[in-house]
Amino acid sequence: MKVIWSKFLEIKWGNYSLLALYISVLSGVVVAWQYDPATPFYSVSTIDLLIPFGEYFRSLHFYSSQFFFLFCICHVIATFEQAQQYSRKQWIMLTATLPVTLLILFTGYILRGDSTGFSAGMIAEAILLDLPLIGQPINNLLFSITDNGMKRIYVNHIVGFCLLWGWLAWSHVKKYRVSFNNHIALTISILLFSVFVAAPFEPDHLGVTYISGPWFLVGLQELLRYFSPMVAGVIVPSTLLIAIALLQKRNRYYRCLLIFIGCWLFIYAILTLIGFLR
Amino acid sequence: MQKKPRVLELSKTLTAGGFHTGPDYILFDNGTEAWALSRKCTHLGCTINYHEKDDLLECPCHQSRFSTKGLVLQGPAEKTLVRYKVEKLKDGGGYIVTI
Ligand code: FES
Repeated sequence: MKVIWSKFLEIKWGNYSLLALYISVLSGVVVAWQYDPATPFYSVSTIDLLIPFGEYFRSLHFYSSQFFFLFCICHVIATFEQAQQYSRKQWIMLTATLPVTLLILFTGYILRGDSTGFSAGMIAEAILLDLPLIGQPINNLLFSITDNGMKRIYVNHIVGFCLLWGWLAWSHVKKYRVSFNNHIALTISILLFSVFVAAPFEPDHLGVTYISGPWFLVGLQELLRYFSPMVAGVIVPSTLLIAIALLQKRNRYYRCLLIFIGCWLFIYAILTLIGFLR
Repeated sequence: MQKKPRVLELSKTLTAGGFHTGPDYILFDNGTEAWALSRKCTHLGCTINYHEKDDLLECPCHQSRFSTKGLVLQGPAEKTLVRYKVEKLKDGGGYIVTI
């Protein structure tokens, strides 16, 4: 176990994250050339079926983004000890990049406009609209699918959330430069992975009885079955984000927070498993 | 913002007990009456489907179930489905659905 842990710590997860981010942004530009938010489903079908290498670039964009998120999580875990030197403000800003990254992934998922993407968007909108007073303005800012289709989500996906992410992470990432040449194996792995695994796309099947959201939201989808959108969609996820934002060793509730996060993730993993087994 | 109503024309005529699934509505005709239901689930807005075998509508997100009249048969949804106005045209001319 110790060997695995020390091997894990040796991996340069931060470099891996940046590399995956570069690939995600570059492939995202190629996908955006062909994507039209006015006709999302048609657009994505066209990219997959008609545009030369369209399916490949969409897959590359999808999986490099997923890898980016996973590498970021590994990076946070692996560098947690060193990160103790950060001020509270720096730590809060850096950990806030995680939910913003999730928002970018999630909006990309909605932008496909297929049956699961569209339903995920509707659920997100319903959760926000359940928030008293601030729900409507936040929805207008972030999603507004019912009134504006994919227009706002698209702008937020390619500009708004990326600017927010950049603002939160800039003081950290500006210190690092990662070149493709130093990570040829990882670069080739991501490029090749997308050749063999297509990005998901699910047309509307009339008889379908179960659709699940993106893997990181399957637990939340399960929770929405039992609790109100306010509890399952806002309060429960917020508690995790707040706990992570406060998780520094100098915090006197550090141990309690650690136990809370562990329990939260454990329960969420069980809910996710239940969701996948449906 | 209140949306401007959309008027949709369906030129085919359903047989008694038939149904037609549009992108955002399902039209039913039992021979004497025609009605249409929104496909937007009243729980959180996923798109529901009609399951002919069980003669009910089900949401694929959290499996809320509705009768063909839009009533809730099984939660988590609590509200009935939105019903749209349908005009059945004479002599098998089809239907006009106002959404
Ligand atoms: S959105 Fe239909 S049951 Fe939840």
